[in-house]
Amino acid sequence: MSERIYMLPFWLRAWHWVNAALILVLIVTGGSLHFAQPDLPLVPFALAARLHDIAGVALAALYGFFVIANIVSGNWWQYVPKPGGFVKRCLVQTRFYCWDIFWGRPHPYPPTLAANFNSLQQIIYWFIMYFFMPILLLTGLMFLVPEWAPQRVLGLDGLLPIAMAHTAVGLVITLFLIGHIYLGTTGLKVTSLFRMMITGWHEH
Amino acid sequence: MRHLVVVFLILLLAAPSALAQTAGAAPTDPALIEKIRKSNAECLGCHTEAALKAPPRDGMDLLKLKTLLVDPAAFERSNHAGMECKTCHGQTANEYPHREGLTAQVSPCGECHAQKSMRIEAQYDASIHAKRLKGKFTCQSCHDPHLYKVAAKLGEPSEIVRQDNAMCFDCHESDLKFATFGDTLTPPKRRPDLDDIHEWLPNAKLHWRAVRCVECHTPVSPIKSLALSHEIVGKDKAEKNCVACHTRDTELRTRLYRHLVTEEREKLGFANSIILGNSYVIGATRNAYFDQFAVWSVLLTVAGVMGHGALRVFTAGLRRLLRKS
Repeated sequence: MSERIYMLPFWLRAWHWVNAALILVLIVTGGSLHFAQPDLPLVPFALAARLHDIAGVALAALYGFFVIANIVSGNWWQYVPKPGGFVKRCLVQTRFYCWDIFWGRPHPYPPTLAANFNSLQQIIYWFIMYFFMPILLLTGLMFLVPEWAPQRVLGLDGLLPIAMAHTAVGLVITLFLIGHIYLGTTGLKVTSLFRMMITGWHEH
Repeated sequence: MRHLVVVFLILLLAAPSALAQTAGAAPTDPALIEKIRKSNAECLGCHTEAALKAPPRDGMDLLKLKTLLVDPAAFERSNHAGMECKTCHGQTANEYPHREGLTAQVSPCGECHAQKSMRIEAQYDASIHAKRLKGKFTCQSCHDPHLYKVAAKLGEPSEIVRQDNAMCFDCHESDLKFATFGDTLTPPKRRPDLDDIHEWLPNAKLHWRAVRCVECHTPVSPIKSLALSHEIVGKDKAEKNCVACHTRDTELRTRLYRHLVTEEREKLGFANSIILGNSYVIGATRNAYFDQFAVWSVLLTVAGVMGHGALRVFTAGLRRLLRKS
């Protein structure tokens, strides 16, 4: 018999899915722009450029909302790695994904109202949302006003380091997304965690 | 017979100086340079901004003079630097008062640039300018012979872009100048707003600073080593495929950067690295090592989660079997 707790407020779920949709659009259009080839158009270049600009600005605005909503609601605390055996909890969680999960053992740290995330989630989400996302958004916004970028860096166009950082962080987010979607299948049932992100109710 | 020999010798002696002038090559003979300097000084005594402010003669038509000024410093940097004004404007051009119609009587460019003209003519005849403005459009409509410098001599791509786009903007950003041609058409054509007709182009203004209008408004030259075509095409035929430039095998190599690109294709893993000195061009100036890393890391992550998932399915089945037995 599984238990249910209402864990995720509407604003958080709405933010998550809009964020996810924008990130997906940005990955597909960003990939189309970066790997542009005449014989392999994923999204036509001009359309990809427009969509990437619009989705990028929308994501930046949404990030602003996320930061403010986190402060106001106190949800920011969920992302902070807590001391007192943090490394050990990360190792236990890693062992779960690498070994225990295959033997049908339960999650070592099931989510509670006080702690939505396990330690591994805390540290990864913290880096994604408060380190990589700001870099991604700032470098992306710099693309919109390239005249703000330095004219030259080491004899090359000053936009190059910004572009490289943007693409590299874009790759990190893409890799995170693949892992994130997959780990979404590791709930009580394959669809449990996806349902939780829609309804807000966690089943365990 | 003796007369013939004398004529032949005179021609032979006169030829080098004539050639130095007509071929447009800067003269090297000090006496000739001095002669040209003096001759040009006569013209520039009036036809400069400075002279307009302090006219050297009484009774000059200053309004007309204002339209016939030359910047001596810019002329000395141009392709025609070192040439005598009279080479194009006629041997009696410095007689004052000027004869009637002197302004219109300029030697045709083809007189010196015969070979180039021959090659350009067919391309130009197919251009939108020739088709719509037959007989009203000349080389000077775009190329100011007192300013123009060929791309290879300018070298720096940003300078090339600035010079060449200024030729287009001169008419296409000025209602007044555009009307001098547009009003001759039936019905008269008003200047379309450049921002409006380029609305489809992302970051249009950035493009105009980074590349020339002719990168898109001329067809690809069938021979890559040849300079850009003079067949200026309108919006219907202009290049709208962004990936023509925004890709590894970018057309910029045979257009704006053709004089910089030799055999160099890749440096520190950057494709078209020569372009990076001037512009970061999405799709064209990417790094091969990074791209390989990106593709492999995505593939390995996907393979990793698929393998993990497959193992979960397998062990779950195994556990069910074990429970049953």
